[in-house]
Amino acid sequence: RSRSRYSVVYSAVSSSKWLDAHYDPVANLYTFSSCIALADLHGDGENKLVVGDLGTGASNMKLKVYRGTGLLSENTLLDLPTGLVSFLMDQHEPCTPAIAVASGPFIYIYKNLRPYFKFTLPTLEVNPLEQDVWSQAREDMIDPMTLKEMLEGIRFLMLEPQDMEAYVNLHKQQPIRRQTVITCIGTLKKNMADDDAVSCLVIGTESQEVYILDPEAFTILAKMSLPSVPTLMDVTGQFDVEFRITIACRNGNIYILRRDSPRPKYCIELSSHPVGLVRMGKNVVVGCAQETLHGYTQKGKKLWTTYLPAPVTTMAVLDLPTRGFQAVLVGLANCEVHVYRDKNLISTIKTPDLVTSICFGRYGREDGTLIMTTKGGGLIVKILKRTAVFDDKDSAPGPPIAQSIRLNVPKKTKLYVDQTMRERENAVAMHRAFQMDLSRMRLAAARAYVKALESSLTPMSASLTEPLKMNAVVSACLAELSHRHICGVPE
Amino acid sequence: MQPLTVEPSFVEVPVGFGTCKTVLITQCSYACVCFSAPELPILERRNWLIHLHYIRKDYETCKAIIKEQLQETQGMCEYAVYVQALILRLEGKIQQSLELFQSCAILNPTSSDNLKQVARSLFLLGKHKAAIEVYNEATRLNQKDWEINHNLGVCYIYTKDFKSAEEQLNMALQQNKHDMTYMMLGKIYLLEGDTEKAIEIYKNAVEFSPENTELLTTLGLLYMQLGKYQKAFEHLGNALTYDPNNYKAILAAGSMMQTHGDFDVAMNKYRVAAFAVPESPPLWNNIGMCFFGKKKYVAAISCLKRANYLSPFDWKILYNLGLVHLTMQQYASAFHFLSAAINLHPRMGELYMLLAVALTNLDDVDNARRSYEQAVQLDFNKCYSNPLVNLNFAVLLYNQGDKKAALQQYQDMEKKVNMLVESNSNTEFDPELIEMAQKMGAALQAGENLLWSKPGKESKNSQRSSSSKVTSSQQPLGTNQALGQAMSSAAGYSKSMQLAAGTVFFLLQEPEPDVESAPSPPTEPPGELEAEDDVEEAAEPPKAKEKKKSKSRTVAE
Repeated sequence: RSRSRYSVVYSAVSSSKWLDAHYDPVANLYTFSSCIALADLHGDGENKLVVGDLGTGASNMKLKVYRGTGLLSENTLLDLPTGLVSFLMDQHEPCTPAIAVASGPFIYIYKNLRPYFKFTLPTLEVNPLEQDVWSQAREDMIDPMTLKEMLEGIRFLMLEPQDMEAYVNLHKQQPIRRQTVITCIGTLKKNMADDDAVSCLVIGTESQEVYILDPEAFTILAKMSLPSVPTLMDVTGQFDVEFRITIACRNGNIYILRRDSPRPKYCIELSSHPVGLVRMGKNVVVGCAQETLHGYTQKGKKLWTTYLPAPVTTMAVLDLPTRGFQAVLVGLANCEVHVYRDKNLISTIKTPDLVTSICFGRYGREDGTLIMTTKGGGLIVKILKRTAVFDDKDSAPGPPIAQSIRLNVPKKTKLYVDQTMRERENAVAMHRAFQMDLSRMRLAAARAYVKALESSLTPMSASLTEPLKMNAVVSACLAELSHRHICGVPE
Repeated sequence: MQPLTVEPSFVEVPVGFGTCKTVLITQCSYACVCFSAPELPILERRNWLIHLHYIRKDYETCKAIIKEQLQETQGMCEYAVYVQALILRLEGKIQQSLELFQSCAILNPTSSDNLKQVARSLFLLGKHKAAIEVYNEATRLNQKDWEINHNLGVCYIYTKDFKSAEEQLNMALQQNKHDMTYMMLGKIYLLEGDTEKAIEIYKNAVEFSPENTELLTTLGLLYMQLGKYQKAFEHLGNALTYDPNNYKAILAAGSMMQTHGDFDVAMNKYRVAAFAVPESPPLWNNIGMCFFGKKKYVAAISCLKRANYLSPFDWKILYNLGLVHLTMQQYASAFHFLSAAINLHPRMGELYMLLAVALTNLDDVDNARRSYEQAVQLDFNKCYSNPLVNLNFAVLLYNQGDKKAALQQYQDMEKKVNMLVESNSNTEFDPELIEMAQKMGAALQAGENLLWSKPGKESKNSQRSSSSKVTSSQQPLGTNQALGQAMSSAAGYSKSMQLAAGTVFFLLQEPEPDVESAPSPPTEPPGELEAEDDVEEAAEPPKAKEKKKSKSRTVAE
């Protein structure tokens, strides 16, 4: 009954594992996998799709909520959304999840699609010298030019000298702060593993730090530092028990953080940038910019590598707990989404456009829904058929198809065969004729050369760098050849 | 700062307080609540977006964002400049990227990443010494970084300082194992000519990443070069298991299959390669020689001619063309292909020998004799020797009635055979060669002191041995690319096999008319006339067969 809502269009290929539920090529969505979530926002048992839309990339940023095939609501966002997660803040009835949108240095929390809360990242430490100089400026103990000189010793300034004074006057009363921004966000269950347990927010920042926030009071429960800027994260475990945060960083490494260690416990050094990071059971699957997919243990030991046909655009996990099935969805730049179980490709989905974000989970009342957005702004919704079976053997490497393609061996004509026979019988004569003609040609060339010398045409180059080239054209050759052909055929 | 438009309220939570200090924000501008001055944009606020587009290879969008970001920050956003430089480098604008990386290094002199990229751009510009200096500077900022060590190693390879390169690459491996580093280290040993050590490195590499087809193929080709065919085949086979379309592995494995006479299996593999790389000269050469092995001579010529068209200056293809034309008794054509091959590769005795065979059949005995003399001389100068050259010469001389010179050649052949047997007791000779030599010996009343090591062995073994003997002669081709070198030797390998088999074949053909003492004419090369009934060369009409048959019959009479 629930499917009728999506106006199910049965795929042309009956063997396909997916039903094409919805495709809107002009949904106008500019987003990434980190900004998409499925959540039962209203507690009515029906999951909605929540998308942090980057708008044009500079303006028109929106928090969009889809229900079925239609847009349910739209909230304006102040800045570009970096990440979006749904999580349970408390267990008060009704139990509805909140949405956290990370944007710049803030996290905006929405409950029931209404703005509820804003969290600001703690400011960074300020250079004491800079602090000192500015406090002097506040008390007008220092003039703008001296201030400039003092500050240039620390950092480069963007201001032109003539703008200095106005700037200093405007800003000198402000407390000096250094703000950083959030680069990725995730959730971590507080103390229970249940689906409806309260979760903490885990955020990675541009200042190479990871914070874990209390879900109710929004205090910082833990702070950890990384050697580089985090870009992707995967969190598992419970905060009060034991947890692992797997973080891909901008330096191309993956770090694994654990409870009670302020520094990374393990490090995986990749040979190219990680584009997607997904957890499969106890292992980590990483898609790299060099068109490879790697599997690692949670201690950072390499398990396998698969080579992909195109660059990775995004990755997500396909999890069907009811069937006990897990796989990795890999969006590729060749407009395909590959489904991998470990290193084996078990299914391929063709998409009409390049996929930029993937999300798999319960949408509406349908458990196995695949949601994708495309580079052109399209929205694709597919439903996994209940009868669909993923078989490892689906694409087991048999002999390549090319092996059964016939070799394109050039054919030979009857004339060729006849000529072969003629050569067999008259090889000696042909050879002698050729040698004779060759000698004659050489003789003719030599004569021409001597003649040129005698008539003082100086057919010699004065310098070695500009050699003189002689080009003799034998016009009789073709005639000779055709003559031979004519002779050859009647034999 | 954008004014709040529709958002009604947000609760500001100062960090450190457990409870919410509710501050209601008016609609006009929430920024006003805390600050009187406009909020300054954060320099790094869009770094994550730039990075995200960069790693997804969406360079156009990435450049647009960088442009905006740099305008907003007046070029002070280090990461935006950094990624712009990376993209410029990918676009081939290396000098520009170098300048941008240098400005990054000025913006943030404590980052070893910036220095690493400066060095990388210098490296790509071919300024290896400058790159080494900058890398060393980067090492001071960041002691433990495999990438710096690896790249330093590569730079040292280019400055021909193999010792330092080896040291740096080993240091890189100690910190973190990467396939690339193994590849480079192996390359150094190959450049130094130490194949054994290179194999050792590649073995470790394959152990570390057992599914890297490039490593497997390289190791397989190196084993092949050393004549360890069993191991070579094992690794090439593994490479093909993981990547059945691996062109290099197919060619190498196929050439080995050809050696063992598995022409159909080799052809199956070649079909895959032909689909992937349809215009490869060595591939068509090998396919041609596969047809030759299957005695489908017309198809062989077709394929070889295509190989020759694709690579007109490859003497090996010309050599094979000469060989096939000799088989087809097209001596005039064979002469042209062989003389072309000699022009391109004048220092190979066997080429002159084949030319001499062609000339003999063209009734040009004087030139044939000269060609044989050249062949014998070249063959004599080499570290290995081919007794066939002398035997064929002896036959010619005998047929000319010059028994004395023939005896001399026969004795030279005996010397070579004895030398080969001494140097390697396992050396086996083609039974046809032995048979002919014995006939010749009887005709010349030469002594029976020739010891063929194990004449009882079957031809299958001897074929392998004769081919391996020839292969070992393949001199290194002098390129600094390990793979390239191994590749060509792989290609040469298959040809050498054909060479050995083919020459023996001509040895049989040549003396036929005049060796009186031969009790019965040697058997025809089997299957020559059945060759054309396959679909792949249906163009050959049955008429041709009859003619050939009559022709060969006349020879036998």
